[in-house]
Amino acid sequence: MTAQLDQAAAAYGGGQQRRSQAVGARRAYDTAMSYAILTVVSAILSAPFVFMVSIALSSDATVQKATFTLIPREFHFENFVRVMTSDAPMARWILNSLIIVTFACLGQMFVSAMVAYAFARLRAPGRSVLFVILLSTMMVPVEVTIIPQFILFRELDWIDTLYPLIVPNLFGGAYNIFLMRQFVTRIPRELDEAAQVDGLGYFGIFARIILPLMKPVVVAVGVFSFAFSWGWFFGPLIYLNTESKYPLALGVQFLSGTSTNAQTPPYNLVMVGALFLTVPMVAVYFFSQKYIYQVNLSSGSAGIR
Amino acid sequence: MWFYIMASPWIAGFIIFLAGPMVASFYLSLTDYDLLTPPQWIGLDNYRRMLVEDPLFWKVLRNTAYYTFLSVPLSTVLSVALAALLNKPLPGMRIYRTIVYLPALVPLVASAMLFSWVLAPDTGLINRGLALIGIRGPAWLLSETWVIPALILMSIWSVGTGVVLLLAGMQGIPQELLEAATIDGASGTQRFFRIVLPMLSPVILFNVVMGLIGAFQVFSQVYILTGGGPNNASQMLVPYIFEEGFRNYRMGYASALSWLLFAIIMACTAIVFRTSSRWVFYETEVRR
Repeated sequence: MTAQLDQAAAAYGGGQQRRSQAVGARRAYDTAMSYAILTVVSAILSAPFVFMVSIALSSDATVQKATFTLIPREFHFENFVRVMTSDAPMARWILNSLIIVTFACLGQMFVSAMVAYAFARLRAPGRSVLFVILLSTMMVPVEVTIIPQFILFRELDWIDTLYPLIVPNLFGGAYNIFLMRQFVTRIPRELDEAAQVDGLGYFGIFARIILPLMKPVVVAVGVFSFAFSWGWFFGPLIYLNTESKYPLALGVQFLSGTSTNAQTPPYNLVMVGALFLTVPMVAVYFFSQKYIYQVNLSSGSAGIR
Repeated sequence: MWFYIMASPWIAGFIIFLAGPMVASFYLSLTDYDLLTPPQWIGLDNYRRMLVEDPLFWKVLRNTAYYTFLSVPLSTVLSVALAALLNKPLPGMRIYRTIVYLPALVPLVASAMLFSWVLAPDTGLINRGLALIGIRGPAWLLSETWVIPALILMSIWSVGTGVVLLLAGMQGIPQELLEAATIDGASGTQRFFRIVLPMLSPVILFNVVMGLIGAFQVFSQVYILTGGGPNNASQMLVPYIFEEGFRNYRMGYASALSWLLFAIIMACTAIVFRTSSRWVFYETEVRR
C-alpha cells in the first residue's frame, strides 16, 4: 500500500518531465510516419514519370518486344531528333499547337479582362441579369453545344482549319471573366475616379489603370487557357482531318495508332511526344506560380482542367 | 452604354457559341439528322428510344455512374489526407508538394499514352509491382471487370489538383484557433476533425462539384485507352455521344444524349448543394 503511494508520489513528481518526454517521442514518431507515408506516396506518383522517360529513351527493338524497364537502361537520345525529322512530323504539330495556344491565350487574357472590367465597374440596365446568365453558362457542358457549333463551322467552311479551335476564345470565357471580375472588385475605386478626373475615358481607365493592376489574374487566366488549349483533345479530334494540321495532343494520339516499322506503334516516339506535351505545362506552371497564388482561387472557384 | 460596348465580345460569343447552339441542339434532339439530308421532325422519339429501346444506353449510364461515384469520393478522401500530411511544417515539404502536384500538370493525352503501359497486363508497371509482392494483377484495360477501376486509378494519379486548393485553404486557417484548441487539451486528431475539416469544407465542396462535373464528362482516357471496350464495359456518356454523333452521324440522337448529360450534371450538382448546408461550414456564419 505504502509502496504504491510512494510510487504514485514519485510518478507525480516526475510526471511533468516524463509527460514532455512522452510528447516528444510521440511527435518524433508522427514526424517519422509522415515522412514515411509521403516518401512512399511520392515514389508511387513519380514512378510513371520515370517510366515515361525510360520508354522515350528505348530502342525500336525494345519497343517491339515491349521489354521496358522502369529505370532507363538504354539512352537513345536520337529519338528526340527522329520525331522532328522523318518518323513523325512532330515539329509541325508543335507549331500548330503554338499557333492555337498563342491566339487562345491572348484572346482569353485581354478580352476576358475587358469584359470583367465592364462587369465590375460600369453601370448599365440589365447588367446584373447578364451576370447571372454569365454564371449559369459555366454549368453548360460543352457536349450540349458542340454539335450545332460543328454545323456552324461546317457552314463557314472552317472544318479542317485551326479557326474553330481559336476563334471562340476571342470572345472571352465565362469562368475567366468571373475570376477577373472578382479581382477587379477588390481594386480601390479611387484609382478610377482619379483617372476620370484626369480626363481618361472608360477604355483608357481599363487599359492604363486597371489592366496593369490585374497582372496576377491575367497571368492566371493565361496559364489556365494555355493548359486547356495545349492539352485539348476533343476539339481537334472533331474539327481536323489532315495530319499536318494536327496540334501536338492529337498528333501524339495519331502516332500511337500508326505502325511505321513492323506491327507495333513506335511507343518510344509516342512517349517523346508525351514528354513534349508535359514539359511546357510544368515550365509554365513554375514560372507563373507566384502570380497564381496571388489570385484567390477558392473564392468560389478554380478550374485547372 | 460603355458597359455594352466593352462587354460586347462576351455577349456576342454567348449568342453565337452558347445560346444559339443550345436552342439548335434542343431542336436537333427532337429530329433525325444525319448532316446530309435536312433534319426530320420526330418529336420525343430520340428520348423514347434512349430510355426504352437502346440497351447500350443503360449500360453506358451505369458505367458512367460507377466511374463517377467511385472516383470522386476516393480522390476527395485521398486529397484531404495528402493535404493534411503536406501541411505539416517539416523541412522538405516543398519537394513532396511538387511531386504530388506534378501529375496534375500532365495533359490527358500524355497520361493516357503513359497509362497504356502502366496498366499493361504483363509488362505494365502496376502488375510488375504487384508481382513483387506475389500478387498476379488483373488484365486491367482488357478485362470487363477491371477496366473502370483501371481508369479510376489513372484519375487518382492526378489527385494533386485538389490537394493544391486544399493546401491553400489550410494556410488560411487562423493559427490562434489551433493553438487555443491545443491549450484546451485537444489532440491532433480532434483538431483535424473539429477545426481543420470544417474550415476546409467549402474547398471540399468545390472540389466535389468540379470532380463530379469532370467525371461525368470523362472522354479522352476512354477514347484513347479503351475505345469503350472490352464489350462496351467502359463505354461512357461523352464517348458514346461522340460515337453516335461524329462516327454514326446520328446528330439528333447525340443531341438528345447531350441534353440528358446536362440534366444529370445539373441534378447531381443541385443535390450536392442541397445537402451541403449540412456539412459545409462558412466562417462568416459565426463571425458576423
